[in-house]
Amino acid sequence: MENIRVQDITQLDPKTLGILWTDGKKSALDVVLLRRKCPCAACIDEWSHEPRLKPEDVKDTVRPVKIESVGLYALTIHFNDGHRTGIYTFKYLRELAPLLN
Amino acid sequence: MGIMDRITERFTSKGAPKQSVTLDEAAVLNALRVVQDPDLHKDIVTLGFVRNVKISVVAGGLEGQHEVSLEVNLTTPACPVKEQLKTQCEEALMALPGVGSTKVTMTASTRGALPLNTGSPVAASLGQVKNIIAVASGKGGVGKSTTAVNLAWSLAKSGSKVGLLDADIYGPSIPLMTHLKDSATAAGTLVDPPQVDGVKIMSVGMFGQGGKATIMRGPMAAAVIKQFLSQVAWGELDYLVIDYPPGTGDIQLTISQTAPVTGAVIVTTPQEVALIDVRKAISMFETLKVPVLGVVETMSHFICDGCDKKHFIFREGGGARVASEHGVAFLGEIPMDQGLVQASDEGKPYVSSHPKSPVARAFASVAGAVASQVSILHAENKNVLQHFSLDWVH
Repeated sequence: MENIRVQDITQLDPKTLGILWTDGKKSALDVVLLRRKCPCAACIDEWSHEPRLKPEDVKDTVRPVKIESVGLYALTIHFNDGHRTGIYTFKYLRELAPLLN
Repeated sequence: MGIMDRITERFTSKGAPKQSVTLDEAAVLNALRVVQDPDLHKDIVTLGFVRNVKISVVAGGLEGQHEVSLEVNLTTPACPVKEQLKTQCEEALMALPGVGSTKVTMTASTRGALPLNTGSPVAASLGQVKNIIAVASGKGGVGKSTTAVNLAWSLAKSGSKVGLLDADIYGPSIPLMTHLKDSATAAGTLVDPPQVDGVKIMSVGMFGQGGKATIMRGPMAAAVIKQFLSQVAWGELDYLVIDYPPGTGDIQLTISQTAPVTGAVIVTTPQEVALIDVRKAISMFETLKVPVLGVVETMSHFICDGCDKKHFIFREGGGARVASEHGVAFLGEIPMDQGLVQASDEGKPYVSSHPKSPVARAFASVAGAVASQVSILHAENKNVLQHFSLDWVH
């Protein structure tokens, strides 16, 4: 994972984000799962690391509005429920996604 | 193996008799394949550096002797082995039959990252900046700003277009060190940076009230830095050097998140107590996936004017040790010099006021090493998407 970064980023279908990594592997990420797994301090307690966001708090209809890079190590997602504070590191995204190949 | 050995080997081991080679562009390119770029580990022909090959008969020259002229386009004008590569090219060409003289011109086009997505908030400001070099340190007082200034001036002297951003919000020292008198002027919604010796400069210190402290909490400071990154009309630059504040806090994080930083140069003095913090700075950049270009050691030693002996006041070899621990390049060591301190206080970048001094030569060599590391990085990161923005389609 040391130097693995993003080679390309695409929307695969209405609810799936596709990432092509620099090692050639591909990830398909469900955007609703991404919203439920938001790593920000409002969703995961900063000190105890206990989840504060319950899965049922997030509707199945939640979708991104925009996805942007954060520096060279992460991306952030603006969701249509107004949430936009999560910084998803590439390392975290690799862990979340079942690798396709 | 030296260049002459390689040339000899090329013409003898493959059994190709010298006289059977016709002198054309293919023969010239073939001959130049012995010249390797020591950083990119490939020959200059494969790298596509060789351009405008011309073979002509010299008027009044010897019968059957030609002049070969060509251009070698390097990845940075600050290439530290420029002269060496030129000599190697000339030797390789002269070894070809029918070549009486050569004219090798060294040029450079600095390589940069992919262009920024126009949706990026820093596109207007940093869109034409090819490389952003962070100059950072773990602790303060190690000569970070001095290094940033002299690095910027050395790169500019080699022919690069350079900008210098002083992001040390609580202790901006670049205006003093560069004798900056002009203030910034408005250019539409952006601010035009003033120039000193052709280097574009922007400093937080240009906007405060002189002598008064900047008292700001983290979020406020971060907002100011974001403005500096998104509202300065840098224009076209080969290198933008950013002088970071010391440490691993809010500002460092904000810059690394907002700007497409190409790589970081870590400055340290040699003693262990400084190195502890260097390890933290390196670890911060690793977390942020900002490549560490290498470590520069300052205040390495003091040469006494009475005995010419190197005195290692802050111990010896710390910078090189910490670089090798982390598998990053050691970019060079800068000796202590009273003149350097004085020149900095008087606002004269030492590399231009004392270009022949050991300190200036050390900075020039550091600048060359930094430029090499940047070129290597681009060769390795051809496929990396640097900055992106994707609008979701519903």
